[in-house]
Amino acid sequence: MSNYKKPLPLITPTSKVFYDGCRSGKLLYQQCLDCGQVIFFPQSICPGCLSHNIEWKQSKGKGRLFTFTITHAAAPSEFSEDTPYVLAIVEMDEGYKMMTNIIETDFDEIKCDMEVEVVFDKVTEEITLPKFRKPK
Amino acid sequence: MMDMRGKAAIVGIGEVPTGHYPERTFADAALTVAEMAIKDANINKSEIDTVIPIGVVSNSINNGNIVCSQMIEALGLGSHAKSNFQVMSGGSSSASSLKVASALVATGLSKAVLVVHCDQMGTQLDLETAISTFSKVSVSPEYETPYGWSQLGLGGMMQQRYMHDTGATERQIAAVVESLRKWAALNPNAMMRTPRTVDEILESPMISTPVRKRMMNVLADGAAAYIVTSPERARDLTDQPAYILGMGSKCTNFTTTQQPSDLVSAWRPAAEEAYAMAGITPKDIDVAQIYDAFPVFILISLEILGICKPGTAGKFVEDGNIAPGGKLPCSTNGAMMAQGHTGAGGGIAILVEAARQVMGKAGDRQVPNIKYAVETATGGVGMDMHVGVLGTEV
Ligand SMILES: [Zn+2]
Repeated sequence: MSNYKKPLPLITPTSKVFYDGCRSGKLLYQQCLDCGQVIFFPQSICPGCLSHNIEWKQSKGKGRLFTFTITHAAAPSEFSEDTPYVLAIVEMDEGYKMMTNIIETDFDEIKCDMEVEVVFDKVTEEITLPKFRKPK
Repeated sequence: MMDMRGKAAIVGIGEVPTGHYPERTFADAALTVAEMAIKDANINKSEIDTVIPIGVVSNSINNGNIVCSQMIEALGLGSHAKSNFQVMSGGSSSASSLKVASALVATGLSKAVLVVHCDQMGTQLDLETAISTFSKVSVSPEYETPYGWSQLGLGGMMQQRYMHDTGATERQIAAVVESLRKWAALNPNAMMRTPRTVDEILESPMISTPVRKRMMNVLADGAAAYIVTSPERARDLTDQPAYILGMGSKCTNFTTTQQPSDLVSAWRPAAEEAYAMAGITPKDIDVAQIYDAFPVFILISLEILGICKPGTAGKFVEDGNIAPGGKLPCSTNGAMMAQGHTGAGGGIAILVEAARQVMGKAGDRQVPNIKYAVETATGGVGMDMHVGVLGTEV
């Protein structure tokens, strides 16, 4: 029985592929084979051309920090024991954005546009969440 | 496209004070503002053939009732009314309802449309439950929910990026709040009427960097209503209607992650569309009622509206330009940060304030010699941008 109390991602046939990737250390995204659009969040239909012809690709796991906030108070109750924590949006080198947490990084080093790299955080037996840090 | 310029007008408004009113029932507040709007318009209620209730966030039964023609029955409109239906796009419900009501009137499908908003975000919701519930709405359950996103986090992330892009300072962000509090001090319907200086705002605790406690909006109970009819009928009813001259919109995303990186460029077409319809430029604007939720929204919107060049809104505000007595009075009801956040009603209050100023009924905070007012609205987690132009003449 896991004692992880925070919300876990909804697992659907599509998101299962993504989270299975995370569990094996691979950060996946998608690309449309018809129009070439990079797709994230993963979808079953391309939002560029509505094609179903979509392939999974592996990201190199590197990007830059688009923006962030260090939440000190008034967090959703499931996260109140984690404060202060860093909520962030990163822009991956492959050209898509993800929501995440910045971890393993001093707060005063965190700046918009800094380079970040993925770290996989195994939160339960089934779920590994991709998080990011300043490269060591 | 049919030219919508001046094809409809707001002729009456109603509003009750925003705040914590546990004794005020939902039905009473909704009925009170509807009655106020009808009396303000000096309209015979039998002319109102359509009622548009805005979505209620705090209580699904109240929402169900108002969707199911509660107002038609309470106002005794049943012998003449044709339709009662909801318009809901969260914070931008003001713009969405104005579009629907104007189009109904302009095409002749309705003679007069009553739009009513009422919600009890202050007393019907437990704050902790509200924060947790709202942290799961307009959020991807697969890819965002696990990370602790909240509405405050959204404000923090938007302000962080804006300050990074433009060099805007914390003092400039705080100056937005200082200005809104000055306006609220002149607004008897506002909740946060105590003026606060920039220093006092910056002394408040850090909540979600760089948003401090006094840069947050406060959930509140509130209700407001407005009536739209044709310009011909408007002239019979009142000396000074608020003519609807322009409307423009952009709707771009569902989640925070997918919001355009450059919001000013992505959302500017909303302003351009509204200005083109109204035949004005940003220089013609006499008063701007800008949707807030967080102070950085007002800065970004000043740039979308073309009132400030990109990156310069912070200085514009810090120099006192949007405050009482400033060059361009903005958000003269105090907006959500000072009037209070009533759910989908924050935008309704801002639209009603735009009409109030154009109709010359804003009392101590009346801006003199208005010809054109703009008003804005945004829903969701920043999913869309709407710009409306109201004016004293067609
Ligand atoms: Zn495609």
